[in-house]
Amino acid sequence: MSTWQVERQEGEDGEVTLSVAEGTPLSPWDAGAALRIVGTPRTRLEGVEKVTGSAQYAYDVRLAGQLYAGILRSPHPHARLTRVDTTAAAALPGVHAVISLADAPDIDWYDDSKLFDPTLRFAGDEVAAVAAEDEDIVADALRLVVAEYEPLPFAIDIVAALAPGATPIHEGGNVESEKTYERGDVEAGLRAADVTFDRVLTTQTAIHHSLEPHGCTVAWEGEGVTVWESTQSIFDVRQQVAEKLGLGESQVRVIKQHMGGGFGSKQIVWKQTVIAALLAKRSGRPVQLMLDREGESLAVGNRNPTRQRLRLGATADGTLTAIDVTIHQAIGAHSAGGEGSNTAGLYQTLYACPNVRTSQTGVYTNTGPAVAFRAPGYVEAAFALETGMDDLARQLGMDPLALRLTNYTGDDQSKEMPFSQPDGLRACYEKATVAFGWGETIEQPAESHRRRGVGIAAHHWVGGAGDPPGYAWVKLNPDGRADIITGTQDIGTGTRTGLAMVAAEELGFTLDQVTFHLGDTALGPYAPVSSGSATMATIGPAIRAAAAEAKAELLAAAAAFLEEPVERLSVRDGLIRVAGEPEDRATPVAAVTGSMSPHMIQTQGARGGNPEDVSIQTFGVQCAEVEVDTRTGEVTILRVVAAHDCGRIINPTTVDSQVIGGVTQGIGFALTEERVVDAATGIVLNANLEEYKVPTVSDIPGIQNVHVGIPDLKANPTGSKGIGEPPLIPTAPAIANAVFDAVGVRFYDLPLSRSRVVDALAARERQGMPA
Amino acid sequence: MTMRTFAYAQPESLADVIAALGAAPSRDAVRPLAGGTDLLTLMKGDIVAPDRLLDLKRLTGLDDTVEIRDNELVLGALTTLTAIETGSLVGEHCPALAKAASLAATPQLRNRATLGGNLLQRPRCWYFREHLIPCWLKGGDACPAREGENGLHALFADSPCVAVHPSDLATVLLAMDATVTVRGDAGERAIAAGDFFVQPDEGRRRENTLGGDEVVLSVAIPLIPGRTSAYHKAMDRKAWAFALVSAACSFRLDGGVMRDVRVVLGGVAPIPWRSTAAEAALDGERPGADVFARAAAAALAGAEPLRHNGYKVHLARNLVIEALEEVTRA
Repeated sequence: MSTWQVERQEGEDGEVTLSVAEGTPLSPWDAGAALRIVGTPRTRLEGVEKVTGSAQYAYDVRLAGQLYAGILRSPHPHARLTRVDTTAAAALPGVHAVISLADAPDIDWYDDSKLFDPTLRFAGDEVAAVAAEDEDIVADALRLVVAEYEPLPFAIDIVAALAPGATPIHEGGNVESEKTYERGDVEAGLRAADVTFDRVLTTQTAIHHSLEPHGCTVAWEGEGVTVWESTQSIFDVRQQVAEKLGLGESQVRVIKQHMGGGFGSKQIVWKQTVIAALLAKRSGRPVQLMLDREGESLAVGNRNPTRQRLRLGATADGTLTAIDVTIHQAIGAHSAGGEGSNTAGLYQTLYACPNVRTSQTGVYTNTGPAVAFRAPGYVEAAFALETGMDDLARQLGMDPLALRLTNYTGDDQSKEMPFSQPDGLRACYEKATVAFGWGETIEQPAESHRRRGVGIAAHHWVGGAGDPPGYAWVKLNPDGRADIITGTQDIGTGTRTGLAMVAAEELGFTLDQVTFHLGDTALGPYAPVSSGSATMATIGPAIRAAAAEAKAELLAAAAAFLEEPVERLSVRDGLIRVAGEPEDRATPVAAVTGSMSPHMIQTQGARGGNPEDVSIQTFGVQCAEVEVDTRTGEVTILRVVAAHDCGRIINPTTVDSQVIGGVTQGIGFALTEERVVDAATGIVLNANLEEYKVPTVSDIPGIQNVHVGIPDLKANPTGSKGIGEPPLIPTAPAIANAVFDAVGVRFYDLPLSRSRVVDALAARERQGMPA
Repeated sequence: MTMRTFAYAQPESLADVIAALGAAPSRDAVRPLAGGTDLLTLMKGDIVAPDRLLDLKRLTGLDDTVEIRDNELVLGALTTLTAIETGSLVGEHCPALAKAASLAATPQLRNRATLGGNLLQRPRCWYFREHLIPCWLKGGDACPAREGENGLHALFADSPCVAVHPSDLATVLLAMDATVTVRGDAGERAIAAGDFFVQPDEGRRRENTLGGDEVVLSVAIPLIPGRTSAYHKAMDRKAWAFALVSAACSFRLDGGVMRDVRVVLGGVAPIPWRSTAAEAALDGERPGADVFARAAAAALAGAEPLRHNGYKVHLARNLVIEALEEVTRA
């Protein structure tokens, strides 16, 4: 029933690759499918482990003789390391290994750099590392490392990096990449417009700040190495560690059972993993290297700041005639890899528009490298585009919702094919605005200085479609319980639970008859990185395929056991039933599997490729109500209503969790979060959680997630798409538009910090406008 | 970051602490430790590196008693912020102080942090707190915040340093005419809060006049019949943030006009910033929107905004008005 075909492909350089086509045809779970587990709210399988503290994170690993490690970071944003001497550090009692430019192996890193590079390109760049018996000794030893620097001119932002005569951060200059896209004729479209929007908008650098920092514990055994890593991709860690250390992939085992958040920042392998492996090799001991909060802030990714000049045009009836955007984004000191920050994507796809031009330039700066951060690019673009749309609606005297619906499209115009779910976004508009009461008059507080307003923003997202290949195995044990095994990872999103539900559903088992295994490259089959909101849509169908084969074998065995034709048999709630027979005559699965022991049913499922004739996207709409105190500039979010199309909802509980978490991050991005770099020294001034202000529980209002839940039957046989990233995308513009609605002040720069809001309100007051 | 190695001692009496402080080779070498919510962060940030800490929490001679004595509300230096926030005597006699405590930090920090330590905490200026940057307050040549990222900095700095005083409580205490009692080698002295906090200068790169051998014993707030007070604080988020700007105001009504008026701003100067100009504008006047606006304008009249903190002028003006309105309502 499953297929497996190999095709030889030869590249222009003569390199031969084998393309594999595989998969198991399954009938999709359509809207009418009678599902018993999928779609019901379930708490997390690992919930008790987490709240009782027994869940093991990378930090919790304790091995015999384990050492702890730390990193010395560059105090300069751009410098040549002229001398580094670790003699005194190495001599400190309790220190077992040191590594630096002076003695590091020659390992390539990033595009044109080294694991320990003589040129340091951001304040926080890795200079040396130490492994010692405890963290206090590590800190003392790092203070004993002698490092001498020759400071170089530096550029910490887009403007400085592109200025004539700016210091080149890499040999080719400071332009990392340029991408352009064009359809139609934007100048003609703008000429045809009755109203236009033309503004420069900016978004800030945000830090992921996962609760659990990056880090790992590494132990060698002979020539093989085991890495317990806080990562979104155990198989990428395996491949990268093997490549950097010159090992075979099978010599590297990567384990990750639980994770305290990654948000994109743990989708690539950062230097500390390989540094820890080298320190472990040198010391002959296991080494744990967890970053501190400062390291998290400086060296393991951020959301790239953007500067976007946006021009929009529309006719008097609200029809968009042109979208033209010129985007610059500061990618930091290096191209870190991973999911790209495609800020231009939203402009090309969200609205029907015949004339679209996007230009996106990545710019090197002497700051920590950017990396994907939950819907990279789209969060930044949504602020600008949805601010512009709100402004157009005001100019036209149109309801912002009506303007959006006027420009609705069911086609992916940039790919020139229909969406797999052309009505997904429409359903989001309906669900969100009905639940919110969009269009209803809001009640204003009695005090005239407290003004309320509402805002709306929409998005699509290029992720959520799944990222094949990906595999799963099913074992049916003699006791009638199923083991589900995949090489994916649960990055804190509830993957275990959702995937176990898919397995139990397809097998016809109860959820507690299923034991789920993941997060170990040695014990599970390949699964890709958990990024792009892909995991459910990638691994769900693979699990369904493996479970379907296992069920077929189980029913064949049951047919022999019961001496009934297989056509009359089915499995439900873990019991094998014979059509037409009474319920109480059902046979427990264990009776069948036990009778064939020690033989077991063991199957594999593969995720087939995505369809090529539709564009699979996810969509969402959020509405926000805010109150602004015009005297103090305080912005209070009163409520957020979200509706997101993620196809079939597997587990409503964890989908709600994703939306609540995403909106929370969106509120931080909208109001308070911003990395601050000192222009004079290039040093990050708020590399901590005191001055880098994430929202507190007091800042977060009630967040209502309205389930859309339309199975996307063209996407994959589960009909489910990802929900991880989307909930963060429209939050900031919905809030900014609500602030405009409340006080009539438009903000073109994020975040809407207290200082910005007060300044804008004060400026308006000086112009004689009412407070 | 991890702290450097230090010794820890639990002296038995306050006299032992004072003697040890007096004998210390430098002010930073030996430090008293109470709640530790500021000192330990300074040590972890490598801003100070004492050789020895003297734990004040279990010795005789220093306490967390809150009581009425000689028509004053007296709070022991070890009183926690939680006790100030929730205690009935403070709530009854100085609700603005209770509110200031409730708006500081987080419940966990308030359980630990003490009144004495709160008054003595160092500025949160991110240049001061960054060990890689040798700012003036730490002994460097110049203040990098003057030309740098100074959105959180001072409007009134009669000092090379433009950091702001971080204490919520201190702002209220100035508005309540509180006195701070300290004890050192030369004995005990009571200092008006307005004299306790002094802008740093070349000879004293600190925000207060506490002697090197002195320890804060208690704080006393005179109980003036009919006087009411209010504290308003603007933060970057709803909780767990130091004040961008705060305002503490108090007065009593005498025949319908305001007397004993105090207007004190937080977050605008290296010390809690009292505005006698604003007080003069209010004294003898009936409460009202116009006079409040005039007083608020007077309070900010001499402000010298830096590049990024001009918003504080507008914000401070309106917080003064809000606080005065609340005092009027009380």
